[in-house]
Amino acid sequence: MRLEKCWFCSSTIYPGHGIQFVRNDAKIFRFCRSKCHKNFKMKRNPRKVKWTKAYRRLHGKDMTQDSTFEFERKRNRPERYDRNLAETTLKAIKKITKVRVEREAKHHALRMKGKKAKDHKEAVKELEQSIHLVKAPAVFQQDPTLTLPKMQVKVSQKQSEENNAMEE
Amino acid sequence: MATRLQFENSCEVGVFSKLTNAYCLVAIGGSENFYSIFEDELAGAIPVVKTSIGGTRIIGRLCAGNKNGLLLPHTTTDQELQHLRNSLPDQVVVQRIDERLSALGNCISCNDHVALTHPDLDKETEEMIADVLGVEVFRQTVAGNILVGSYCAFSNRGGLVHPHTSIEDLDELSTLLQVPLVAGTVNRGSEVIAAGMTVNDWTAFCGSDTTATELSVIESVFKLREAQPTDIVQDMRKSLIDSYL
Repeated sequence: MRLEKCWFCSSTIYPGHGIQFVRNDAKIFRFCRSKCHKNFKMKRNPRKVKWTKAYRRLHGKDMTQDSTFEFERKRNRPERYDRNLAETTLKAIKKITKVRVEREAKHHALRMKGKKAKDHKEAVKELEQSIHLVKAPAVFQQDPTLTLPKMQVKVSQKQSEENNAMEE
Repeated sequence: MATRLQFENSCEVGVFSKLTNAYCLVAIGGSENFYSIFEDELAGAIPVVKTSIGGTRIIGRLCAGNKNGLLLPHTTTDQELQHLRNSLPDQVVVQRIDERLSALGNCISCNDHVALTHPDLDKETEEMIADVLGVEVFRQTVAGNILVGSYCAFSNRGGLVHPHTSIEDLDELSTLLQVPLVAGTVNRGSEVIAAGMTVNDWTAFCGSDTTATELSVIESVFKLREAQPTDIVQDMRKSLIDSYL
């Protein structure tokens, strides 16, 4: 059993999923689901389809060159089984995925770096220019010097004297 | 010594097994009888390994190898690759190659020094063959057939080719391969030599349909009469030591 990559979207294909297409020149295309297969049949180029890994890598949205990617190669010349080597490999796999996730998060953070400042600047500008769309013009014409400032006055509540005159 | 046997009632022994000077590969799924005939002949000398390639039993036609290495198609699974690497001796290099023509046993025919290949094989594959098997590679056809791996079988001592090979072709191939060649058949007139039999320097295994005539031709061209693994050393000793007169 081998976990392959989808030719279109580059996601992993688990056993029992997807379709493999073998072309007449003996090239094998593996798809993870019918969505990718149908896109392939429509002759769409994955590098132009926004949600695929190929597009994201090409347009710099995801990390392209990193040493963690070189560990996941297809190896054609095996080595004799060694238990210690297998154990260290398993531990290394975990560590490598952890490092890769951290690096991808850093890449994403770097990509989104100036966003907050930019959003704030745009919001301020919009407030200046387009506030007339929200508040009525009459509000701005009220001269604040002419109106008395609003003050809060505390009123104590007196208990009214019971008038029992009617009860008799 | 040439032995006659069957795999599940089929005489195409060369399809279900691969014999070289350093190891023997046998398909799984047959009766233990098939396996034990190989073991009887080869037990002490070389390892006999049961395997499948890409989940199939037609291993003889899918892989190509000699005592230096073994070439496997891209359909070989990782588990089978690891199994072969663990079972074969360390001097044998196990390599999986990406090649459009994936039935390497039909495309490549080799002994320990020379290989004949399908004329349409990739350049990288040819380099890989020269590197892994340590052989000189020739792109040739045999009797007009491009599948050289099926229509000729040769070892370091002799070779058998398709019966319709012309004499000029036979001479040309003989000079290329540096071994004596004979055009003959196997399994009662079957032209597909390498599918019907498998051979190394001291044994041969043929399908049970092989007639006595064919068997005697095989034994004479591959020099198998009274040849044991130790005999080869004896022969070499005679040629290595000069006689003083």
